[in-house]
This record gives sequence, structure tokens and C-alpha cells, in this order.
Amino acid sequence: MSEKTKEPGVLGNLFKTFFAKHWPVWVGAIVLGTLNILLFAIKSPWGASGGINNWGENVFKLIGIFGLENATPTSTSLYGMLCVFLIIGSFIGALLSKEFALRIPPKGELIKGFIGGGMMALGATFGIGCSIGSFFSGMPALSGGAIIFTIGLFIGTVLALKYLMWEMEKFPNFSSGKSYNFLSGTGKSGSWQIYLGWIVLIVTFIIAYQYSGGNKIMAWFIIIGMFMGLISQRSRFCIVKAFRDPFMTGEADGSVGVMAGLVISVFGFTAIKYFGIGVGDIAVRAREMTWVFPHFFFRAAIGGFVFGLGMTIAGGCAVGTLWRVGEGQVKLWASALGFILISPISKLYIVPPIVNSLPQSLDFKNYLPDYLGYPGAFGFVLFIILVWYVFVKWNEKTGRFSAF
Amino acid sequence: MENKIDQTLDCKGLSCPMPMMKLAKAMKGLKSGEILEMIGTDPGTKSDLPRWCEKSGNEMLEKGELDGGIFRFLIKKK
Repeated sequence: MSEKTKEPGVLGNLFKTFFAKHWPVWVGAIVLGTLNILLFAIKSPWGASGGINNWGENVFKLIGIFGLENATPTSTSLYGMLCVFLIIGSFIGALLSKEFALRIPPKGELIKGFIGGGMMALGATFGIGCSIGSFFSGMPALSGGAIIFTIGLFIGTVLALKYLMWEMEKFPNFSSGKSYNFLSGTGKSGSWQIYLGWIVLIVTFIIAYQYSGGNKIMAWFIIIGMFMGLISQRSRFCIVKAFRDPFMTGEADGSVGVMAGLVISVFGFTAIKYFGIGVGDIAVRAREMTWVFPHFFFRAAIGGFVFGLGMTIAGGCAVGTLWRVGEGQVKLWASALGFILISPISKLYIVPPIVNSLPQSLDFKNYLPDYLGYPGAFGFVLFIILVWYVFVKWNEKTGRFSAF
Repeated sequence: MENKIDQTLDCKGLSCPMPMMKLAKAMKGLKSGEILEMIGTDPGTKSDLPRWCEKSGNEMLEKGELDGGIFRFLIKKK
């Protein structure tokens, strides 16, 4: 070895802190929770399925079917752009850590990706929100429906994991076969990834700046979306992992991470709603009801369940899919495609007739503080998180519910 | 000293959770002291696998990166 290893300087070390190793999930989740509070303070909380649905509507608008001529162009849709920049942020994170590569899986995996993505679209349409809107933002929004959605998510995930295990046992060839890997950044020759990462980062700021004149909120959504993608990629933040791993390897780190993010958001969201922060020209009541969707009971239950099945089969929740797209995992490209194409179809044709036949009560108020008061609702949501924590930690130790 | 490899598990192209599921299953089939070589391309494995080894008591003998973005791990069953 003749090559001298140079000791990195102060800035070099700072760079390594962020991009040499993965971050613990809880660190990523706490930052994501904080950014989520910031999004809420500026406008409304984090969500992913709405943005993906916007892309889908624009795809069909382009093709000219389903009568979607009036769909909001993605360039003016806050959540459409948030999702675009989430992918770009993850792309930046993957490049700066030289983890980007086009990873093409065996055929069977691509099929599972597409089907899983389609099921997520269906579940998100039923549940009026995905793993983010009706869970990671919905629970802190003190929504009763979000708790039902979460229970559905949990059951769907466990069942789909059972399916995956069965498939691996009976049809191991489905998830094996020819795979390809392009453009990886291993070794010195991979340094182009770091340069490209910086370029894309700078371009993102330029685009955000261009919006800042006419649409200040959009400028913020672009920057926050980009950071959300970058942080998710570095910390491998994934809702599926949080729900699935205790039942698979028994690991609790992913779950505890997500819980940390939830707890931060519960504090922030409750404060925003309690004090009516950022009410602007809307009523205090409208601010309170932000991200409290009319999906109690059946819509949330069915939505959570179907979404749970989908995200486990795809191997990424809504956000997990988006950031893995940015990292170059082609299975999740298939999942995103399924999500994009099926979402508008679910919204227009599949879900409405079923929802109309479901028993529902419009009298039922879905906002927990209406029943429990703010202290009660706040304590109740934290208590649910605590129960979940005790369960995954106990299970990690005993392996009582884990498959391996 | 070169480690004697008892089984190789190819997880190239697979993404979460397939590599960890296949790994856990393959490890079940090994006898104590036997060594599994795993190759894959999912960056998630880089942090998932060491953590799993630590918790399950299996020993990670080697971890490295080959050309073309392929990760390679050697794990000894406890």
C-alpha cells in the first residue's frame, strides 16, 4: 500500500458524519418528525399518497383518459412536488454516500413490487391517507380514524409477512434469478457520484429559490421534501420495517425509531392545534381538524389493512418506496408505478361504490380531543405508543412472536 | 487464514426484506460453527446484518464491498 491516507479536515469529518455510515433510525425519525411539525406550521402535515395520486392524475391527463383534464399540474401541486423532491433528496443522499446504483431484481420481485404498489394505492384511497398521512402524521394529529388505520396496517403487515414466508418456502425461485446492477459507486472510480450529488443539491436550491417569489410555501415544501428524502435514505426510515421486523427477525430498532418520530410530532402537532398556530384565514376548528379525515370506522380499517398488505409485499411503504426509487432500487420503481397508475383508478372507479355501501355515521366525530379533551387525547396517543414500545422490546428479548 | 465457506447465499438484486429473510432461513439450516457467505446489493443489508448478528449471537467474520456495488459478508453460526 503506497497510497497515503489523508486525515480528513473539519469539513471532511462533518461530511463523513452524515454520509459515511447509515444514521440510527431514531435520529432520522426525530428529524423527520421535526420537519413534519415545520410543514404543519407552514401549511399542513406530511403526506405521500396525495402527491403520488397527483402524478397519476397527470399521467392519465397526458394520455387523455378518465376525464382528468382539470388535474392540478404537478409543478403547482404542493404535495406532488413534495414527493418529487423526496425522491430527489434520496438520490442526493445516495450519491453523496456512494450508495446509488441501478439495482434490477429478478422478474418475480418486479411483479410483487407492482402489485404491492397497486394495493397501497387502493388502501390509501380507502383510508384517505397512507402510512404517512393516516399514521405517521395521523396519530400525532390526534385522529381516532388514524388509530383504526394503524390497527389495520398492523394486521395487513403480519398477514403479508406470512405470505412472503410461505412464498419463500414453496416457491423460492420466484425471488431468485437473473439480476443486474449498474452505475454503482464502489471504489475511487465511483467518485462521480459525490460530484453529481452536490450538483443536484445546488440545483434543488435554485429551483426552490425560483419558486420563492410567487409561491413561498412551495419553496419551503421543495426544500423540506428534499431533506426528508435525504434523511429517510440515510436513516433507512421505513414504516414497513417498524411494523414487520418484530414479527420477522424480532428486531425492534426500526419500530423504536418510528416511535421517537411519532412522540416528537405528537408534541408539535398538539401545540399547533391547541393554540391554533398558523390559523391565518381559516377557522380555528379547521386547523384543529387538519389531517383528521372522515374515515372512521370502515374506511380506515379496510384502508389500513389493504395498505399493510401492499407495503409488505412491495417492501416499502409510501415513503419507503419513494426514497428507494431515488436510491435506484428498480423493484420499488415497479411499486411506484403500480401506486401511480392504480391510485386515480381507485379514486374514480373502485372505492366510491364500495364506500357508498358501507354503513357510516356522519354524526360520529373523529377528533379525539372532542371526547377526551386535549390532555386526554395527548396522553392516550402517547399511551398507545408506550404499549407498542413495551411489546416490541419484550418481543425482542423473548422472540415470542418473531419467525426467526 | 482463509475461512472455509460452507454455503453461499446470493441475494443480488433483492431488496428489503428478502435478503434478511433468506439469510435467517439459510442460517437455520447450518450447524454450529459453519460459515455462510452472503452477497447482495441492498445497502440496507450493511446496517441490518451486523445488528442482526449482534442480537442473534452469530459472528460476523468479514464484511466488505466488491467491485460493482456488491456487498459480501461472512457469518459464522453460533
